[in-house]
Amino acid sequence: MGMKNFKKPLLLAVSVVLILATVLAGCSNGGKNDSSASPSSNAASTAESSPSASSPSASSETPAPQGWVFGSEPLEFSAFTNYDWQDFPAKMEDNPFWKYLKENKKVKITPILGKGNAAQLMTTMMASGDLPDLIYGNRFSPDVSRLYEAGKLVALDDYLDKYPNLKKFLDNKFIDMLRMPDGKLYQFPNWYTDHSTNTAGYVVNKKIYEELGSPKLETMDDLYAYLVQVKEKYGKEVIPFEPDRTVDAQGIGLLYTGFKEGALYQSLGSQIMGTVTGDKLTSIFADPAFHESQKFVSKLYREKLISQDMFTQDRGKVLEKLIAGRVAVYAGSGVTTYASQGHYELIKSDPNAGYFMIKPLVKAGLDSSKVFTGGYDALGWNVTVITTSAEDPEKIFAFLDYNTSPEGMAIQFFGPEGGNWNGFDENGYPNFTDTYNVKEVADIQTKNDFVNIAGNSIYIDPAKNKLEDSKPADQQNWQARWQKEITWPSGNDITEFRTNLNPPADGALGDTLQSVSDLLEQILSESATAKSDEEVDKILNNADTAAMKLGYQALLDWRTEKWQENRKILGK
Amino acid sequence: MSQATTKRQYAAIPPQQGEFREKGFFSKLSKQWDIQLMVWPGILLVFVFSYIPMYGVLTAFMDYNVFSGAHIFENPWVGFKHFEAFFNAPAFNTIMRNTIIVSLLKFLIGFPAPIILALMLNEVRHMAFKRFVQTITYLPHFMSWVIVGGLVMSLLSTENGSVNILLESVGAINEPINFLSINEYFWAILVSTNVWKEIGFASIVYLAAIASVDPHMYEAADIDGASKFKQIYLITIPTIMPVITIFMILAMGNFLNAGFEDILILAQNPALRPVSDVIDTYVYRVGLQNAKYSYAVAVGLFKAVVSIGLLTTANYLARRSGNSLW
Repeated sequence: MGMKNFKKPLLLAVSVVLILATVLAGCSNGGKNDSSASPSSNAASTAESSPSASSPSASSETPAPQGWVFGSEPLEFSAFTNYDWQDFPAKMEDNPFWKYLKENKKVKITPILGKGNAAQLMTTMMASGDLPDLIYGNRFSPDVSRLYEAGKLVALDDYLDKYPNLKKFLDNKFIDMLRMPDGKLYQFPNWYTDHSTNTAGYVVNKKIYEELGSPKLETMDDLYAYLVQVKEKYGKEVIPFEPDRTVDAQGIGLLYTGFKEGALYQSLGSQIMGTVTGDKLTSIFADPAFHESQKFVSKLYREKLISQDMFTQDRGKVLEKLIAGRVAVYAGSGVTTYASQGHYELIKSDPNAGYFMIKPLVKAGLDSSKVFTGGYDALGWNVTVITTSAEDPEKIFAFLDYNTSPEGMAIQFFGPEGGNWNGFDENGYPNFTDTYNVKEVADIQTKNDFVNIAGNSIYIDPAKNKLEDSKPADQQNWQARWQKEITWPSGNDITEFRTNLNPPADGALGDTLQSVSDLLEQILSESATAKSDEEVDKILNNADTAAMKLGYQALLDWRTEKWQENRKILGK
Repeated sequence: MSQATTKRQYAAIPPQQGEFREKGFFSKLSKQWDIQLMVWPGILLVFVFSYIPMYGVLTAFMDYNVFSGAHIFENPWVGFKHFEAFFNAPAFNTIMRNTIIVSLLKFLIGFPAPIILALMLNEVRHMAFKRFVQTITYLPHFMSWVIVGGLVMSLLSTENGSVNILLESVGAINEPINFLSINEYFWAILVSTNVWKEIGFASIVYLAAIASVDPHMYEAADIDGASKFKQIYLITIPTIMPVITIFMILAMGNFLNAGFEDILILAQNPALRPVSDVIDTYVYRVGLQNAKYSYAVAVGLFKAVVSIGLLTTANYLARRSGNSLW
């Protein structure tokens, strides 16, 4: 022990938060209150800022019903990404899209950087009342609802008609689902969609598959026989089945979906944490399909046919194995990124190597068209909110509207007009030029990934497909091809399960959610590595009893109710 | 040397000289301004970051809303609600058991280990070798747990992990052991990793204490025919006992700090939770990740109260031997 005695992370964290709060509150108490108090102060600030703008905008000064023209006058605001592993670019020039906005649209964004500690910074900013104008982050993070409950968010309803792109692309019923209990809209969705965006699935190592005689891979029995074959031939050199980081279910969850038609991958996550039985959510621990799939997993584990490190490895290791071609079958909830990296690495030395994808594996007798490896949410995963700290929230909304518009999306994906594309076709999609540069476009897309905060899949996916469709299959981008052929078609719409299904963290249901999801994580691992089929049953049955003692049934009932409400909103 | 002797010296000062002492106190201060200069930033730091925010513990008895910021008195008082919730939490028994066992193991093995290393190093006559060993053993202290954890996970991995390869090649096992997924092995891995990481750094202070032992005593013992072990047992250990006692008292005060980063990183597999979940990891998961601040503060306060109790008891016991902290 000796010297490392002074570790009290909790007290330290709390002290730091509180001391920062004291300091910051001291600084900002002066004039902050009035900006949040009256929405009418916005008008005053617009008037103040506009005289400095160039003359053409003077005419748009009078409140016009069609809204403010984005880019007509300077716009300044601060923006924060509420994720530990992601930040907005430190300088606008560092990012292709933001550079364009700075140079062409008079936008000046001051990024607030979490630098790997976003959660702590977010808390500090909440405690001090000194919030960023725009916050981008996880829709399911408690931060969004806390900001809402504290009255720190700006309602977007008044802007929806003036800046119509969101309304134009996203069906109204989905916008309704995003509404807060007071009936207003506070969140602008990212990557909203009207088609599957699923990237979960099974990836097969082509070289190994061909060396083993390209056997049929459709059922779980086929998979088992194949994995045995792999182990016999390659021994320890190759991981027969790589399920990614199974702490988050991943490959194990995929196998579960193969044991029951219509089973949801998300049943194994804290988001749903239940199985759909008719119009009710029931205990996942009592789901026969889950028992069956965990028996299958534990058999693979016992016979060393599945990665033995699945519960301890990090994703870096998974990628490393894929790039080295040491994986025969790879399965996970988002496989296309890693598999394509592995694919392009492998074909460098052997053009016949690489990876391909197969349709969802099923238990013999099930219909594979009714088995879904993953779900998609029409509302995506992340949202942007505008806080009451914003001087002129309407203009920030105009910025989001531009981001999500065809022009904005095209620039984010293919660069400024006049380069890789020029004008739009009769369907509104970009006309790609002869000088279209594949490498440059890939680079632009990678770099803009961090600033895609109002992503419009409904528009951009067909635009991307327009390009890919014109090429023969083997020349298509690996990801684009397999998403289109396999993963998108094997995803189902789970929007109805995703919104408002999280109880408040500080109530009894919140405690139950926490304890039962802790239990589920533990049980997932214990049953996956059980010593026999009987033990799997025993572990799951005991877990069911334990979960019920923790109040699981009340949580299931509450979620069932919320889910049915969602169905009503969606007209199902 | 020890506190007890100093106390006796002060006690020997006659009361009428107190006035003179008071005057001397300030002139003494000004004479050692250079030393004071080094002390004050530390005191200031402790005052600003440890004492001023201390009123925040009151939030343990409130329903703290983060938007109230530093104006904590805007929040409603709820009495012992959060303490009750913690004591009644389903995971409470497991967490307390693990916290106590892990602490106990870290104390029983991790506390004497650097002392033994220091005693061993002291007997090494080859200076270059001694320095080499010292450097090698204290370096891991400066690595973060993320790095150490990654290293341990790679070593113990079932896929190309060195430990499994070694055990297989000597025929000790037939198939790789999934060390970091088996409950029975976790405490051993955790404690030995801790010892490996901290042993060298912790031994520095003991080596310094040993260096202050009067060499004449060893010479005398040599003449009397005492063996090396006898010399260690009868001279070295008694001489450094005050240092050992003080570090032991401090270690007692930290008894409920079973660890945080080390467990968080090494216990990736949720199946290990029945043996790995301790107060700090629980608070992190339940309190901070879910933003239940009052709850987290209540648990932290509970820990602090127990720690103060243990520290005071240890100090009381140590006072009998004359080596107490105060």
